[in-house]
Amino acid sequence: MSWPKILDRHQSLWFLITGPTLWALHFCTVYAMTAIYCEKLGDEAGPLRLGILGVTLGALVLIGITAWLSWRQWDYTDDWDYEHDGLTVEDRREFIGHAGFLLCVVSVIGVIYVALPAAFVGSCV
Amino acid sequence: MRWWTFIGSKAMRGPAATKAQQGTADPGDGTTRHDMSDDRIVRPRLRQALCALALATLPGCSGVQHVLAPAGTDAGFLANLFWIMLAGAVVLWIFMNGLMVYVTRINVRQMSPKKAEALIIGGGIVFPTVVIACLLSYALAAMPDMRAEGTGTRLKVTGEQWWWRVEYWPEGADAPIVSANEIVLPAGSRSEIALTADKVIHSFWVPALGGKTDMFPGRETRMSLEPLEPGTYRGQCTEFCGDSHAWMAFNTVVLPQEEYDAWLENAATDAVAPEGEAATRGREVFFAEGCGACHQVRGTAATGKVGPDLTHLGSRTSLAAGTLPLDEPSLIRWVRDAKAVKPGAEMPAYDHLSDDDLSDLAAYLEGLI
Amino acid sequence: MSTTWQPGRIEDETFVTVEGEHGPYGIYPPTEDMLNEPVDPEVSKAQEQRLRKAWAAPAGWRIISAVNNEFVGKWYCMTAFVFMLCAGVLALLMRVQLSVPENDFLDASTFNQFFTMHGSAMMFLFAVPMFEALSILLLPEILRARDMPFPRLSAFGYWCFLIGGIFVLSSVLFGVAPEGGWFMYPPLSTIDESIGPDIWLLGLSFIEVASIAAAVELIVGVIKCRPPGMRINLMPLYAWYVLVVGVMILFAFPPLIAGDFLFEMQRSFDWPFFDPERGGDPLLWQHLFWIFGHPEVYIVFLPSIALAAMIIPTAAQRPIVGYNWIVLSAVGVGFLSFGLWVHHMFTTGLPSLSLGFFSAASEAVVIPTGVQLFAFVATLMVGRVKMILPMLWIAGAMAVFTAGGLTGVMIALAPFDWQVHDTYFIVAHLHYTLFGGMIFPIVGGIYYYYPFFTKKMMSERLGKWSFWLSFTGFNICFLPMHWTGLAGMPRRVYTYPEGIGWDMANMISTVGAFITAAGVLVFAYDLLRSKKHQPRAPRNPWKAGTLEWADDPNDENWGVRSVPFVTSRYPLWDQPKLLERIDAGRYYLPDSQEGYRETIITSAVDARPQHVTRVTGPAWCTIWAAIFTGGAFIFPTFSWYVPAAISAAFAVVCVLYWLWTATAQVPVRPSQDVSLGLRLPLYVSGPKAPGWWAVFITMLGDATAFTSLIFGVFYYWTASPDFPPAGALHADAVWISGAAILYALSWAATRAARGVNRGGMQRLAQGLLIAAPLLAAAGGGAMCFSLMGMDPTSHAYPAIMWGLAVWTCAHTACGVIMQLYCLAGTFFGKLTSRYDADLWNTTLYWHFHGGSAIIAAAVIGWLPRVLS
Repeated sequence: MSWPKILDRHQSLWFLITGPTLWALHFCTVYAMTAIYCEKLGDEAGPLRLGILGVTLGALVLIGITAWLSWRQWDYTDDWDYEHDGLTVEDRREFIGHAGFLLCVVSVIGVIYVALPAAFVGSCV
Repeated sequence: MRWWTFIGSKAMRGPAATKAQQGTADPGDGTTRHDMSDDRIVRPRLRQALCALALATLPGCSGVQHVLAPAGTDAGFLANLFWIMLAGAVVLWIFMNGLMVYVTRINVRQMSPKKAEALIIGGGIVFPTVVIACLLSYALAAMPDMRAEGTGTRLKVTGEQWWWRVEYWPEGADAPIVSANEIVLPAGSRSEIALTADKVIHSFWVPALGGKTDMFPGRETRMSLEPLEPGTYRGQCTEFCGDSHAWMAFNTVVLPQEEYDAWLENAATDAVAPEGEAATRGREVFFAEGCGACHQVRGTAATGKVGPDLTHLGSRTSLAAGTLPLDEPSLIRWVRDAKAVKPGAEMPAYDHLSDDDLSDLAAYLEGLI
Repeated sequence: MSTTWQPGRIEDETFVTVEGEHGPYGIYPPTEDMLNEPVDPEVSKAQEQRLRKAWAAPAGWRIISAVNNEFVGKWYCMTAFVFMLCAGVLALLMRVQLSVPENDFLDASTFNQFFTMHGSAMMFLFAVPMFEALSILLLPEILRARDMPFPRLSAFGYWCFLIGGIFVLSSVLFGVAPEGGWFMYPPLSTIDESIGPDIWLLGLSFIEVASIAAAVELIVGVIKCRPPGMRINLMPLYAWYVLVVGVMILFAFPPLIAGDFLFEMQRSFDWPFFDPERGGDPLLWQHLFWIFGHPEVYIVFLPSIALAAMIIPTAAQRPIVGYNWIVLSAVGVGFLSFGLWVHHMFTTGLPSLSLGFFSAASEAVVIPTGVQLFAFVATLMVGRVKMILPMLWIAGAMAVFTAGGLTGVMIALAPFDWQVHDTYFIVAHLHYTLFGGMIFPIVGGIYYYYPFFTKKMMSERLGKWSFWLSFTGFNICFLPMHWTGLAGMPRRVYTYPEGIGWDMANMISTVGAFITAAGVLVFAYDLLRSKKHQPRAPRNPWKAGTLEWADDPNDENWGVRSVPFVTSRYPLWDQPKLLERIDAGRYYLPDSQEGYRETIITSAVDARPQHVTRVTGPAWCTIWAAIFTGGAFIFPTFSWYVPAAISAAFAVVCVLYWLWTATAQVPVRPSQDVSLGLRLPLYVSGPKAPGWWAVFITMLGDATAFTSLIFGVFYYWTASPDFPPAGALHADAVWISGAAILYALSWAATRAARGVNRGGMQRLAQGLLIAAPLLAAAGGGAMCFSLMGMDPTSHAYPAIMWGLAVWTCAHTACGVIMQLYCLAGTFFGKLTSRYDADLWNTTLYWHFHGGSAIIAAAVIGWLPRVLS
C-alpha cells in the first residue's frame, strides 16, 4: 500500500468532513437557486428543475470520488478490519477512511433526498 | 371527488341547521362556545374503532376544530396520512423498545456481534432510507394539489389584533364585499384565499378543511381550501399574536353552492334597519355613542374601518372573533366591557350605558341580518 | 476488540530532537521497560506535595475566585439545575392555568411571560449551559488533563452565565419579563414598548457570548488536551460529541447574535430591519432565529447521547459496538441539523420546492440519529447487561425519545406540518424529544457520575422512585397533548373555551405535570441530601473502562497524579497497570517543579506531546470582568448608554489585566522535563499553541455572524422586488474604496510585523505596529464616512449598510486593541522575537477581520450598484 506520505497525517482528516460539506454545498446551492428563481423569474419551474438535476449529479459525482478515496484509505480488503481501536498510525488512517466512507454514504442519501422534491413539485407555487 | 374523500364525509346540512344547532348547543350562559356533537358524522369502521379506543380516555375525534374529522379535500388527505404514519410509528416503537427490553431484561446473554452489526446497518441505514423515501414521495407529491389555485370564490383575509377582516372578491368585482370574523365558503369547489396582516403576524387555520398559512404585515401570502361537506367549522389563529391570541377564532360556514350564491348576494347588500322598538332605540344608542367611528354598517352613516364590519352582524354565528355566541347576553357583555372578555382589545368599555340601552343596542345589532 | 499496545509497532513515530531546545526533545512513545521502572516513593511524595501546593484551592469564602474545572463545573451544574427548577415551576403554573377552560388563575400577560420564560430559560439557561457545565466538569477527567486549557475563561463564562441568568429570570418576579415567545418574532416584539424584549435580547446575548466562550474552550480541550497516545480513533465517544457540539454552537449561535444585533438596533435606534413599511422584513428574523434554533435542538440532544454512549458500554461491560458508526452519526447529525431550519417556517408561504428541500433534509437526519440508537441496542445485545440505575434512565430515555423521533418523522413532512404546526401536537413532540433526548439521559448521567464527583453513591431506591414517577408523570402529561393538538388546540393560548373537546385532555396533562414534578423533587432531594454518614464509594463503582474513573481517590485538586500514556479506547479494561502507574506518578508530568499549574498539550490528530502549558490559577479579575461585561449588556436595557459604555471599558481593562499578567508569559527556561525521558517546550506560538486555536475557533464563529449579516443583504434582495430601492443613495465610492485599501494595509502591516519580529528586527516591527492601528482606525472612519449621506432610519437598505459598518468598526476597535497590546508587549519584554504568541494570535485575528472588512466594503460600495 503506497499511500502518499503527504496525505498521511493531516490531509486525510479532511475525509471526515468532505462528504457532508459537499452535501451542505449542494443543499445551499439548491436552496439559493430556488429562492432566487421563484422570486425573480416566475412560477414555471422547468429550467430550475433541470438546474437542480445538474447540481445534484455533480454533487453525487464529487461525493462518489470522496467515497472512493476514503474507501482506499480505509483499505478494508487489506485486513478486513473495521474496528480500528489499535494504537498504530494505520489504525488512525483506516479509521478516518472508514468514517469518511460512511459519511459519504449518508451524504449520498441526503443529496438524493434533498433533490427528491424537484421530482414531484413542478412549479414555484 | 378524489379517492381519499370517502373518509370524513358528513351528512349535508344547511345554514338554517347551523343556526338552529347553535341555539340548542349553547346553554346561554354567555360563556359557552360552540360545540358540535358527532352524531352527524359518518366515518368508516376503522376510524370509528380507533376513535372508540381513544374515547376511552379522551374526548372523541369529533369536534368543530379537529384535524381527524376532516370535511375538506386537503384535511381528508392529511388525516389519512396521519393514520398511516401512526400505524407505522406504533409498530416501530414497539419493535425498538421491545428489542431494548429483550436484550436488557429477558435475554441478557451475549449475542453474536455479527447480528448486532447487521442490526445497525439494516435498522439504522437500509430500512429508514427506504421507508422515508416512500413517505417523502407520497406526501410531497400531494403538496402542489393542496396549493393549487382556487377556481371558485376569491377571498382576502387580514389578521388584525385580534380579529379577522374578510373581503370577498366575486369574479369581475371592482370593490370587495366586506365582512368580518366569519368565512363562508361554497362546498365542492376550491376557494382562493389571500392572506395578510395589519400589525403583527397571525396564522389562518381551519383544521377540518386543511392546513394553515401565516399572515404577515406588508406581505401577501396565499392558500386555497376545498371544503366538501357543508357545515360549520371553527378556525383559529395559530401564530402567537399577543394578549388575546387565545381569543382569535372564527367560524367557517360551508354552504352548498346555490345557498352560497344566495348568501353572497345578501352579503353584498346594504344593511336593512331592523324593525321593532328596541332595535330602533338601539340604533339611536349606536349612533349617539359614536360606534360608527370605528365600525361600518353599510347604508348608514357608520363608515368606520378601524373595527370589524357590522353590516350583517346578525347573520353571523359568533361574536368577537369566535369568542362568544351571537346572542343578546353576549352582545351586552361585549359592549359593556370588551377588554374583560378579550384582554388588550382596542374597543373601549361602554359601562356607562344603562342595562336598557345595552339591551336595545344588542337588539339592533342582532337585527342586522 | 482492542489490541493491547506492543512496543515496536509504533517505532515510526519515535521522535528525537526536531527544533532544538524549543521543540520536544527525547523519547516518545515510552517503552514498556521505562513504564515498568518503579518510582522512588520519597521522590513521589515530594512531587505530590509540590503538586498539592500548586493546585491548592483558595480557602474560605475566597473559594469563589477558584477557576479549577472541578469547582467551576460544579457551580455551573448546580446553577443550571436551579434555573431548570425555576423554569419548571413556571411550567407547573401554566399547567394549573390550563387545567380547566376559561380559567383566571393567570391573566393573559402573565401567562405569556411564563411561557416565554419557560422556553427561553430551559433552552438558554438550562439545556446548553448544562451541557457546557457537565463537559467542563467531565472533559478534563475523561481526557486525564489536569484542567481545561483556559480555566479563567470557564470561570468568566460561569460568572457571566450566573449574572445574566439571574437578570433574565428575575424579570418574571417584577412582571416585566418578555412576553413575545422564546422566538421573539417581530413585529410583535419590535412594537412592544415594555423592556421585556430588551431583557431577552441583551440578557440572552450576554449568555450566548458565555456559551460560545465555553464552546471554544471545549473544542480546544478536545483537540489539544488529550493524553499522549490518544489518537482520534481512540478518543472516548464523549469527546467526539463535545467536539461536534462545540463546533455546532460555533456555527449556530452567531446567526442569532447577528439577529439580536439587528433587533436591538431596531428597538433602540429605530433602524427598520424588520419593519415591512420601510423595506424591512419580519421573515429575516425568523430565518436567523431558526438557523440558530434548529441546530440548537441537536446541540441539546447530542451531549445527552454522549452520556448514554459512556453509560451503555459500562452497563454492557464491553466496548461500544460500531464506534465508527457513532462517530459517523455524530458528525452527520452535526451537518444535517443545519439544513432543517425552515421546518419551523413551513407555514410562512415559501415556495413548495423550498419546503420540499427542508422537508427532505429533516427526514434525512433520521438516518444518523437512528444509527446511534441502533448502535446502542447492538452494544447491549452483544454485552452481558447489568441493569444499573443509570441504565434504567437511559432505557427510559430511549422509550421516550423514539416516540418523539417518530412524531418528528410525521411533522417533518411539510403538508402534515401545515395541520399540526403551532398546535399542542408540537408541544408534545418537542417535549418527547427533549425529555428523552436531554432530561432523562442527563439525570441518568448524574446518577452515573455522582460517585465520581463526590465519592458517595446516590440512593438506588430513591432513584427508582424518581424514575418511575417522572416517567409515568411525563407520559400522562404529554401523551394526551398529541391528541389535544390534533383536536385543534393552538400553542401559546393562555386559556381556551369550553366544549371544543380539549377540557379532559388538558386536565389529565396537568395531573401528569405534577407527577413529573414529584419525580424531579425526589431526584433533587436525593441529589442534595446530606450523605455524611454514607460509606465512601469505591474508586470505579460501575467497573467502567474509560479514564475519568482513574480519578484520584483522595479528593486531590490536581486532577491526575500523572498524565497517562493511552493505548486503548477503554484503558481501564485494557491497560492492566494503568491505575497503579498513574498513582505512582510514573507517567508524564508527575511534578510541578516551579509551583505552576501545568498540563500537557498534544497534537490534534495523533496526540503527540508538543508543549507543557501553564494554566491560569485563582483570580478575581475574571469575576470583575464578568460583572462589567454584564453591565455593558444590562444597562442598555434601560437605555443607560453612558454607564454601559463605561462598564464596557472597565470590562476591557479587566480582560487586558488578566491576559497581560497570566497568559503567554515568557518562561525562565525554554523547556521542561516531563518525565519518561521527554522534554517539552514551555512556550509555543502559532498553531501549536492552544491560544492560537482558541482565536481561530472564536473567529470562525465570528465569521459566521458576519456571514449572517451578508445573508441578510442577499435576503432583502431576493425577498423584495426593489432592493436596493430605485433611486436610493449609495455609499460614497471614493471613501468606501479608501476604507478597503486602509484595512488591507493595516492587515498587511500586522502580518509583516509578525514576520520581521520573528526575524529579529524588533524596531521595524514596532514601527509597523504603530502604523497598523492608525491605518485600521482610518479605515473604520472612512467606512462610516462613506455612509454619511444615508439615513439608517429611513429604510432597511441604509440600515443594513450601516449595520455592516457598525459591526466592522466594533471589530476594528477590538483589532486595534490587540495591535496595541502587542506593541506594548514589545516594549515591556513580554513579546520578543522568540516569544511571539500574542503577535501570532493578533495576526490570525486580522486575517479574519481584514478579510471581512474588505468584504464588507465590497458589499457596501459595490454590490448595491450591481443589484440595482
